[in-house]
Amino acid sequence: MTFHSKLLATTAAAMLAMSGVAFADNHAMTGPNGEALAETQEFTYRVLDEHSSTDPGLVEDVSGSEIVRDLFEGLYNQDKQGNLAPGVAVSHEVSDDGLTYTFTLRDDAKWSNGDTVTAGDFVYAWRRAASPELASPYSWYLGLMSVENIDAVIAGEAEPETLGVTAIDDTTLEVTLSEPLPYFPQMVTHSTTFPVHQPTVEEHGDQWTHPENIVSNGAYVLTEHVPQERSVREKNDMYWDAENTIIETVTALVINDENQALTRFLADELDRTEIPAGQFPRLNEEYPEATVVAPRLCSYYYMFNLREDAPDWLKDDRVRKALSLAVDREIITENVTAGGQIPAYNFTPGATAGFEVPDIEMASMAQQERNARAQELMAEAGYGEDDTLSVEILYNSSDAHRSIAVAISQMWKQTLGVEAELANQEWNTYLEARSNGDFEIARGGWCGDYNEASTFLDLMDSESGYNDSKYVNPQVDQLLAEAKTAEDPTENYMQVEQAIAEDQPIMPIYHYVVNYMMDPALVPSWPLGNVQQNWYSKDLYFVADE
Amino acid sequence: MLAYIVRRLAVAIPTILILVVISFVLMYAAPGGPFNSERPVPPEVMANLEAKYGLDQPMWRQMVTYVWDVVTRFDFGPSFQYTDRTVNDVIAQGFPVTLTYGMWSAVVAMVVGVSLGVAAAVRQNSVLDYMAVGITIGAQALPNFVMAPILVLIFTLWLGWLPGGGWNGGQWEYVIMPVIALSTSYMASIARITRSSMLEVLNSNFIRTARAKGLPMRRVILRHALKPALLPVLSYLGPAMVGMITGSVVVDIIFSTGGIGQFFVNSAFNRDYAVIMGITLLVGVLTISFNLIVDILYAWIDPKIRY
Amino acid sequence: MKLAQPDAKMLQEVGDLAEVRGRSLWADARARFFRNKAALAGLAVLIGVCLFAAFGGLIAQYERDFVDFSLMGANAYQGSPSIATGHYFGVDIDGRDLYARTVQGTRISLLVGIVGALVAVVVGTLYGATAGYIGGRVDNIMMRTVDVLMSIPFMFVLILMLVIFGRSILMLFIGIGLISWLDMARIARGQTLTLKNKEFVEAAVATGVTPLTIILRHVVPNLLGIVIVYATLLVPQMIIFESFISYLGLGVQEPNTSLGALMSLGTKQMNNGTLWMLFYPLFFFLITLFAFFFVGDGLRDALDPKDR
Repeated sequence: MTFHSKLLATTAAAMLAMSGVAFADNHAMTGPNGEALAETQEFTYRVLDEHSSTDPGLVEDVSGSEIVRDLFEGLYNQDKQGNLAPGVAVSHEVSDDGLTYTFTLRDDAKWSNGDTVTAGDFVYAWRRAASPELASPYSWYLGLMSVENIDAVIAGEAEPETLGVTAIDDTTLEVTLSEPLPYFPQMVTHSTTFPVHQPTVEEHGDQWTHPENIVSNGAYVLTEHVPQERSVREKNDMYWDAENTIIETVTALVINDENQALTRFLADELDRTEIPAGQFPRLNEEYPEATVVAPRLCSYYYMFNLREDAPDWLKDDRVRKALSLAVDREIITENVTAGGQIPAYNFTPGATAGFEVPDIEMASMAQQERNARAQELMAEAGYGEDDTLSVEILYNSSDAHRSIAVAISQMWKQTLGVEAELANQEWNTYLEARSNGDFEIARGGWCGDYNEASTFLDLMDSESGYNDSKYVNPQVDQLLAEAKTAEDPTENYMQVEQAIAEDQPIMPIYHYVVNYMMDPALVPSWPLGNVQQNWYSKDLYFVADE
Repeated sequence: MLAYIVRRLAVAIPTILILVVISFVLMYAAPGGPFNSERPVPPEVMANLEAKYGLDQPMWRQMVTYVWDVVTRFDFGPSFQYTDRTVNDVIAQGFPVTLTYGMWSAVVAMVVGVSLGVAAAVRQNSVLDYMAVGITIGAQALPNFVMAPILVLIFTLWLGWLPGGGWNGGQWEYVIMPVIALSTSYMASIARITRSSMLEVLNSNFIRTARAKGLPMRRVILRHALKPALLPVLSYLGPAMVGMITGSVVVDIIFSTGGIGQFFVNSAFNRDYAVIMGITLLVGVLTISFNLIVDILYAWIDPKIRY
Repeated sequence: MKLAQPDAKMLQEVGDLAEVRGRSLWADARARFFRNKAALAGLAVLIGVCLFAAFGGLIAQYERDFVDFSLMGANAYQGSPSIATGHYFGVDIDGRDLYARTVQGTRISLLVGIVGALVAVVVGTLYGATAGYIGGRVDNIMMRTVDVLMSIPFMFVLILMLVIFGRSILMLFIGIGLISWLDMARIARGQTLTLKNKEFVEAAVATGVTPLTIILRHVVPNLLGIVIVYATLLVPQMIIFESFISYLGLGVQEPNTSLGALMSLGTKQMNNGTLWMLFYPLFFFLITLFAFFFVGDGLRDALDPKDR
């Protein structure tokens, strides 16, 4: 396989880099590209909320996954561009029918207690993640990977041992799929697929992830965890690539209030924090070297409720289209979010690998044209001076969502005379309302689980559990089903996007970017090219002041 | 006296049971559940989760099981949100933090508040009095979510004297700002109560007599006036102590101290039923205890009160 | 106080007696209150704030929900207060006229404070007066119930309630009122116990007036002084409480706002060079509270002369 040789080349590059470091020794340390490094290599960053878990089988949130990616290492990692890089596995082979993947593992991978990482550890971890006893909220991810028998195991109808994953020997892992999945290798960079150390899990039960118990195989080990305050991880000397790991200590501080986090960044207490919505322009002017923008694999959109029992106007695609046309996305991205977000007229972000943004009619129009067209459509649908439409926008409480909803409601009012009422609900209530169809128009946000368009477009499948609009279009369903096994699904994806633009079950608003305040010394090593923003502390380093 | 304490403790038990029932009912009335997420989990997984945490049982049975576990094993159950922690862990970690800055706040509020109140009363209608009244009203009116960020701007960003947040095991420099932010409004209330009760005492006959006998002012105040003047402060202290512990939500959020206030708000949003119950019970027990302690102290200081 | 109850002559006389006594007491109090300069100043400010809340909207140049898209994002600095643009207080972070929003926020905050205090005072007074008047076992049970309720951490229960019932402003009033009647009930009961043995109550009992009527017509009016004092001191507490709830993001729904919500938003922009977003709402918040505190203190001093 071509993939094999590519991986070997990457490894060779890593070897070269390693020898560079060895040569430079302790004094004038250099980075992978020969940069001079700062003396202290300690990375402290802010997280919004306490992570739910550092157990690879259970972790479900972004901040938890960031920690898990440092503590554990899966079959493959991602490099700075988001391409596959060797992890515990060095290569893999695919059978001709695309149903069997055979991974070859490195033999020098070690757990932090000195044990060797074997294929059996992966088998144990995957079975555990799927088992009803663990009841992992992320077990569906293994389902997404189409691992054989996964649905039966989750439902408790089959023993975890029947899962399509086997250890041929200590360094050979075989995975059987129920259907071919071209992007399967990309999916094993996700934390749910990471190995766990069986003796530790069995000895300590639920508490095996406490710092005093945990045994992990990643570049770092967990040394301190104070819930709701901090979590500290330190370099793991047992890690197979420890020589090339530059950052010594990584600290995640829980800071709920983003403005407090910003103040503390400015007071040098943090090396990285998110920029609060709307404050990017000022910060960029004052601290141009510390403000960082990069595209991200996420979309912000409003969804229309298309259920049977929803109000009739929602079923009129002229109204939906008019509402979408009347939203000036440039104003939202330039004045409201103001952090370099990308106006969106289609659902899948353009940064997605292998995805081409189709020519959507709306995208090429000027805002005046859009407004005029929107007014025409509303008139056609029978709304005018004396018959104004009233709509309700549901969003979860947050300043950023509020600002966007306020702006959009005004655009509708000023352009179409539509009266929009804003309803904010706290997160859990909002999720409940959305999935029960208890809304007219609701905010939505979606981030890709892997770097391929189907992670977005599958939401439009009438069977999808995340299709909160309850959009049903048999043609879209068929296109998506075909895309699963197609040699090149790009054409299908473009057609699905065109169907969305035509039917407007959702109204895309913008594609996310990351907006960070970051220590300028850290910026060169930050993987800005990785659109999923999967970063690994082992690849980071602080360069020395010039 | 002993009979009184026993009677109060006997009332405490049904109080806590009522608290359990109210909290359970409210929790279950809340839309959503602990395992709701943006990507809804498949029904099979949801069933597994509910079975794991006993949520598939009827509510009354969950309530009985809960009370039974608490009473027999002092086991408040596992947290639904933080899978590797039990509620006991969460409280053991968060409560000492809250208690530390809550206690310091109480001390600061008492000492500063009483001194300010006494000084203002003794020099009634002087510049000092007006300043004290102005400061206390200002301190009472300024919400701590406005004051706390201002403190951080001044002491962290501009002066660079104190860290802008965190707890770090409770080192003193991390405790100062939370204590200031939390104690100010209580300090103001105590000062106002002290001032008016001190004025009342100073105008009473026995003080007039003492002064007429030619005793020095300082001695009159410390020996005779202070004790009766502090009685109203004492009865305020019970609710205030509880307030300093439950009112820590804002302080926790702004200073990221990791106290139970933050745990409670996050648990309420995440529907982490077990943590909500645990903290509600903890605060309920604290409230009852503080009120009892204050009442006993009251009886001890003021022999006129009989039970 | 009107005590027009023509049934029994006897009662009428007693009522008249009470009225005469009451009038002189109130006149006394009024005189004392008007001698207190701080309280008078507080009253003047309070009237000013109420006028601002009621009629301030008339001179606003913009609707409270109108968004000026040219004064947002990178241009937020141009949204500073100015007479020329008609944004007297500038614009908020969403490009809306802060003057119109401050007027509306003041109105809601006052409303929350007054309605909350009213709920607390009405419930608390009736409850306390009933318990105190009936006495015995009923009193015991009622006051034990108050003790029980006082032990429940209501701040927490309120957060849970708000999470459940969404952000209805009605719930906010009721929730806040329900938290605060307990103290009032205790005070009212204590006062009722002393009133119970007064001649005019005994006279009413002797003429066979029902207990409910006695409580409503004879006991409650005589509690009025202490109730008013307590209520004026309760209003600012309610307003502070509301601001705290707004800070947690559980306050009133857009496009409505309150001073607490405005301050909370302003605080977030404090470091962003748009200080006016904090300053104006904070100013109105502070003067309103100052006014209530001074008026409350003045009333207490006036109605309770021994406190001088």
